[in-house]
Amino acid sequence: MSVNLEREKAMLPGSGLTETRGVNLSKVLFGASAISMLVSLYFIFIFAAEESTMRAAQKIFYFHVSSAWLAFLAFFVTFVFSILFLIKRKRIFDTYAYVSAEIGIVFTIIVLTTGPIWARSAWNTWWVWEPRLITTLILFFIYVAYIMIRQMDGVWDKKARLAAVFGIIGFADVPIVFFAIRWWQTKFHPIVFGEGPSQKGGGIEDTMLVALLVTITAFTILYSYLLYKGVSFENIKIKVDRYKEKLRETLDK
Amino acid sequence: MNYEYMLGAYSVAWVIIFSYMFIIGKRHDKLKKEIEFLKQLDK
Amino acid sequence: MNLFRTALLLAKKDLYSELKTKQILVTQIIFAGLVIVVFSFAFDPANNTTKAVIPGVIWVIIVFAGILGLNRSFISEQRNDTMQGLLVAPMEAASVYFGKFLANFSMILVVELVSIPFLFLLFDFKFFGSLPYFILVIFLGSFGFIAIGTFLAALAANSKSSEMLLPLLLFPITTPILIGVVQATKIILTNIEKLPSAVAWIQLVSAYDVIFFVVCFLLIDYVLEV
Repeated sequence: MSVNLEREKAMLPGSGLTETRGVNLSKVLFGASAISMLVSLYFIFIFAAEESTMRAAQKIFYFHVSSAWLAFLAFFVTFVFSILFLIKRKRIFDTYAYVSAEIGIVFTIIVLTTGPIWARSAWNTWWVWEPRLITTLILFFIYVAYIMIRQMDGVWDKKARLAAVFGIIGFADVPIVFFAIRWWQTKFHPIVFGEGPSQKGGGIEDTMLVALLVTITAFTILYSYLLYKGVSFENIKIKVDRYKEKLRETLDK
Repeated sequence: MNYEYMLGAYSVAWVIIFSYMFIIGKRHDKLKKEIEFLKQLDK
Repeated sequence: MNLFRTALLLAKKDLYSELKTKQILVTQIIFAGLVIVVFSFAFDPANNTTKAVIPGVIWVIIVFAGILGLNRSFISEQRNDTMQGLLVAPMEAASVYFGKFLANFSMILVVELVSIPFLFLLFDFKFFGSLPYFILVIFLGSFGFIAIGTFLAALAANSKSSEMLLPLLLFPITTPILIGVVQATKIILTNIEKLPSAVAWIQLVSAYDVIFFVVCFLLIDYVLEV
């Protein structure tokens, strides 16, 4: 029995060369996201021009739109890895899908909180029946449901398989939801909010565009950092759980 | 003008980001304690 | 075609076992009736403006009664582990899905047949719109709802808390159907002159039905895996 324990001790995480490599990448990504965030804040507040009608409140738009973009990117990643998992059945794909969905939910929460604040400042109402905002709300519920499937009781491959199927359906549903709501809005509440987010009724000013792109890049770097951190954490947790299982088995004997 | 809205929105966004990182940190700490405990068991 | 025949067989089996006890059907109808009564307390039926609420109420009762039926469609298979029997039988997973879908669909049609006239009765709603279009909308909306509902019921049945999980999964995914179908019902029941927009909504719901029926057919193998 002690021979078995020796072999299992070797499986215990917390040793080996891969750890230091992982820690380095994590530090690099963290530094990169911190720096890019600061850079983007400079761009937002100092570089970009202030908008005429909404003044300072319009600056919310940079974070709001970047978060929305990141939320959709995160859920697209979940969609892709769900498909990959159903085809290849490797656990790492499921881990990526799960962590990406969790990060996507965080960014969706940011969109859903900054949205009403902006709406209040611009149109004096807390909630706007706007296609993008409602689609984001539905997206939020779809991915909360995805996480709930993952929290089910059972073996990991069953949960992962079911969650992957739901991830595919959920993502396929999003464009339909968007078009349905947009259609509903144009017939129901004519869109009075002007077309472009900069409210200039058309294109977006150059400095604002640059600031927006910089912010999106900063958010994407933050997303990759969170994704990397989350996936490495899940991998360690999987190893620890496996170790505990083996320990339980040897104790039962 | 409208500074309070901007400050409100930005602080909310940063609170959400930082609380998420805080939650991740707590998870890390819990896992580390578990690993330490398992290492202790072997000795 | 073999797929269709085996699906029909499964649907018949479900419907026969349901007709013996009539338990679920009766529960669904009573539940729909209770929801209607609660709505008549929530919204004053005598008031004219509540006529505007009727299209929404129709679909609320269909959704809630439907969830009841969908839950039991796969839970009942877990009792004597008959789910394994279905999977081992010489029928594809797609026929299991299709058979269950047919059974659930027939049941929800019966529920609608009973509860919608009851709703019109209680709310004193004079039916002015065109009956064929109304029936078409009800048919298409229930089709899509039950299609995705059966699929997600199969998915949720794997969990211990499946009754809580199914609504959580189902409601966000079916929002396009609900939006389209409530709008179409509203136009058909109240201002029939706007028929072209109602037809447009019906097209949206049909597109949704087709897309998700096909997607569910393709993905059901992964859900019903052993």
